[in-house]
Amino acid sequence: MELIGLANYAIFMGILIGIYALLSLALNIQWGFTGLFNAGVAGFFAIGAYTSAILTSTPALNRMGGFEWPILLGWAAAMLVAAMIAWPIGKICLRFRSDYLAIATIGVAEIFRLIIKSEDWLTGGSRGITGIPRPFGDLPYVQSQLAYLALVVIAVLVVYLLVERQLKAPWGRMMRAIRDNEAAAAAMGKQVEARRLQAFIFGSAIMGLAGALFVHFNRSITPEAIDPMIATFLIWIMLILGGSGNNRGAILGAAVIWIIWSVSELLTDRLPTEVAIQAKYIRIFIIGLMLQLVLRFRPEGILPEERKRNPVGPG
Amino acid sequence: MAIIDFINFYIVPGLLLGSIYAVGAIGITMVFGILRFAHFAHGDMATMGAFIALAVVGLFGVTPWTALPIAMVLTAILAVGIDRTFYDYLRKRPAILTVMASLGVALMLRSLVQVIWGVDPQTYQRGIVRPDTYFGILLRPRELYTFLSVIVIVVALTIFLRASKWGKAMRAMSDNPDLARLSGVDNRMVTLLLWTIVGALCAASGFMLAINTELTPMMGWFLLLPMFAAAILGGVGRVEGAVLGGLIVGMVEELSVLVMPGQYKAATAFVILLLILLVRPRGLLNGKVL
Amino acid sequence: MKLKTTAGLIASLLGAALIAAPAQAQDARIALLGGISGPIAAMAPPMIAASELAVKQVNEQGGIGNGGTLRHVVGDSACNPQNATDAATKAVNIDRVIGIVGPHCSGAVLAAANSVAVPAGVLMITPSGTSPQITAIDDKDLVFRTVPSDDYQGRALARTIKERGMAKVAVAYLNNDYGKGLAESFKAEFEALGGEIAGYSAHEDGKASYRSDLAQLARGGADTLVIFDYGDGTGLTLLRQALENNFFTNYVGADGMKSDAVIRELGADNLETFFTSAPVGEASESLENFRAAFSAAGGNPDAIFTTTAYDAAFLMALAIEKAGGDRAKLSESLRAVASAPGEPILPGEWAKAKQLIAEGKDIDYKGAAGDHEFNQAGDVAGNYAFFKVSGDTYEAIADMK
Repeated sequence: MELIGLANYAIFMGILIGIYALLSLALNIQWGFTGLFNAGVAGFFAIGAYTSAILTSTPALNRMGGFEWPILLGWAAAMLVAAMIAWPIGKICLRFRSDYLAIATIGVAEIFRLIIKSEDWLTGGSRGITGIPRPFGDLPYVQSQLAYLALVVIAVLVVYLLVERQLKAPWGRMMRAIRDNEAAAAAMGKQVEARRLQAFIFGSAIMGLAGALFVHFNRSITPEAIDPMIATFLIWIMLILGGSGNNRGAILGAAVIWIIWSVSELLTDRLPTEVAIQAKYIRIFIIGLMLQLVLRFRPEGILPEERKRNPVGPG
Repeated sequence: MAIIDFINFYIVPGLLLGSIYAVGAIGITMVFGILRFAHFAHGDMATMGAFIALAVVGLFGVTPWTALPIAMVLTAILAVGIDRTFYDYLRKRPAILTVMASLGVALMLRSLVQVIWGVDPQTYQRGIVRPDTYFGILLRPRELYTFLSVIVIVVALTIFLRASKWGKAMRAMSDNPDLARLSGVDNRMVTLLLWTIVGALCAASGFMLAINTELTPMMGWFLLLPMFAAAILGGVGRVEGAVLGGLIVGMVEELSVLVMPGQYKAATAFVILLLILLVRPRGLLNGKVL
Repeated sequence: MKLKTTAGLIASLLGAALIAAPAQAQDARIALLGGISGPIAAMAPPMIAASELAVKQVNEQGGIGNGGTLRHVVGDSACNPQNATDAATKAVNIDRVIGIVGPHCSGAVLAAANSVAVPAGVLMITPSGTSPQITAIDDKDLVFRTVPSDDYQGRALARTIKERGMAKVAVAYLNNDYGKGLAESFKAEFEALGGEIAGYSAHEDGKASYRSDLAQLARGGADTLVIFDYGDGTGLTLLRQALENNFFTNYVGADGMKSDAVIRELGADNLETFFTSAPVGEASESLENFRAAFSAAGGNPDAIFTTTAYDAAFLMALAIEKAGGDRAKLSESLRAVASAPGEPILPGEWAKAKQLIAEGKDIDYKGAAGDHEFNQAGDVAGNYAFFKVSGDTYEAIADMK
């Protein structure tokens, strides 16, 4: 009995970790390899989630959509739309350096969130979208969860292998060159702007895919899911803790943060209720403290970037 | 609409909101300018300052405005402590790590507020206050004091930065850190002073928000993004720019309901921000480009 | 490094499982999921406390089945789908609960129901998920709520205030599913009755000033402001700023505004023209029973959604007792104990209910927030009263039709 429950819980965690791992990998492309401070992850996550939701859900009265597309097409569209929206944003925002880009992307994501919350005809507004199909959703609970886990794992693997391959290719070396010394790379005739834009769009498309995987898992989406705390800053914590610049680190960071977050509640639940409620506030403190400890003792993350020929840190 | 109503219900609230943003944005712009990172714990530090003032009111039974200076001192000490514990050792590392550390500090501060003071909304003084009339303009004492405090804070800070030795050192660090170090500016002292000022300003902005509304654990977090917008709008590193930026953001937010649905009020700060980044990335008052 | 981390994680997982001591055979476990952290943090603790009062009463008055205890775990759904599904999965799989009371926010309810409770066959009763989308969940009869859908309340409020002579009103609502649902149904009904909506606008949470919003609403010349928001959140700020500037004469809120925080922070003497609606049971003793018991337990019965949270937990316990702890029969039993006909059971009357169930008699729970006659979709029709502030509490002044 207990073991099956534990396995079910592990499967569920696997699915969420997989979705967060995709976001973390995507952010790694943008920050870890290209040095783009995108603090609007939630925006692209939301675009992917809502695109797939609108295209694949059953028709509804008060909003656009319900086109009942096949799920895989919905996912492809999620990536495509996220990429298409990332393009003009990247065009405009990528000329800002680091911190400015962060503030600009936060702003863009907040504007998206307010639009999603307010434009009923498009997104169902604050009520969100339901009636979204889930692949293998008709199977019994355990099988259905397992099947979804398999899908998520495949998505993570494919993205991981693709990114790794790209990075080992000349493209990856060039990206790192641009990140570490933009002026030198430009002097050598690299098209810095275009390359950075590529990385921004590629990363955003994967964020869109993560959003799509998330809505089909829950069969519903409401604007609460795209709160910047859980859809942007949490992912930053995952990436920095796991090791930015290292794809396995990005995945590991997602796993470690989510597991600690989730398991810590199991432990605090054993406390008496008055204390348990307080303990849930303290849980947030622990996440903050953990981040500090990692920054202090392992600032390059659990799995640091592998640097073979270039020992200079990013500036 | 009568012109006096326009002043009372749009301009005055806009200025009030703008003043609160301005006080917070000064701190953000100074950290940005001198230490060169985006301080995400700024909002939650403001929350902490407001709650410290609440504790002072509760413990010593003083009026809120008497509690403010005490809270400013205590929050300044807290800010220096946070810098020493969590930011200082990251100074030589990429700025992103300090940004992450400040995000962690934000979470820790919020959690402390929730544990110590609970999650219910609270106020310094119960009840409501009807305004007095000054030549047709409606003002409550607390609003008057808020405006006066902001003016005092900005004037004092400007005099300090322009006239005192350490103020000049801070400005030098902000303008050209390498040159400042070469000319013998004491880095640690500047950092210490910076966080003292930032902590005190945080407490002031949190307090002013709280006395005009309520205290809640999330109040500062909600304040963070408009304050960032104000700081960049005015030009990074420019104190007078942050004041101007804060006033503009506050004013535009309040006026936006004249032309836009209310739910988009929160978006106006970002729209201004994106526009200014597009046409004038240095900000209104020629701040630095990071 | 990776191996060690993984091993450590597995060890801590197993540790957690071991601490979760296996329940006694007759014991029943339920989960109370609420938005403890996140945007409704101020609302969640009293709601959890109200549900716990029901659990405590059950255990004091004979427990579950033959000497069993009703056990509960508290989970944090944080008002977002990510944390809600996580909390629900833990409750269902690690704590092996057979029923979930919660989550509190509609988005959390939708996600937890769709991806955990319904597939796993666990009964879920939410005390505060008010979105109409919850009605439409394909729920295998497993998702219920003790709070009426916003539709009923908005319409009832429109009829009541029209009757009381407030014919020209302005509406300010929080831009979330709760505020919007109420505002839309209120507007439709109020206009159908010939009333005039002289201002209608949404606002976002957590802004420092709403004065220009209010001024904008007041320009239509309405004398009454209807606020669909939470009295321990933005609604409090809004009401304060409206009162301080004399924008309107009358202020009306729905159940979310019926919060003790409003009276505590603004003072009863400033609230003479402030009215709220809230769901109540047909038998007025129901509410009185709950208020007395919750006050005695140190709770504040004026806190938002405490009545529905209590009813949800008490109904869950009744259903478990009726089903003999059998998970498969739970939703059927819930319908049986909640619906007429049957011997009426009021809040706190666990011993009596237990006795009747043991004798095989039919019972009908009459809750503090309504009679809870669930319809096909698991929704309840609301029965409302109109409240005014009296002393430091709210007093019902009229029934609402």
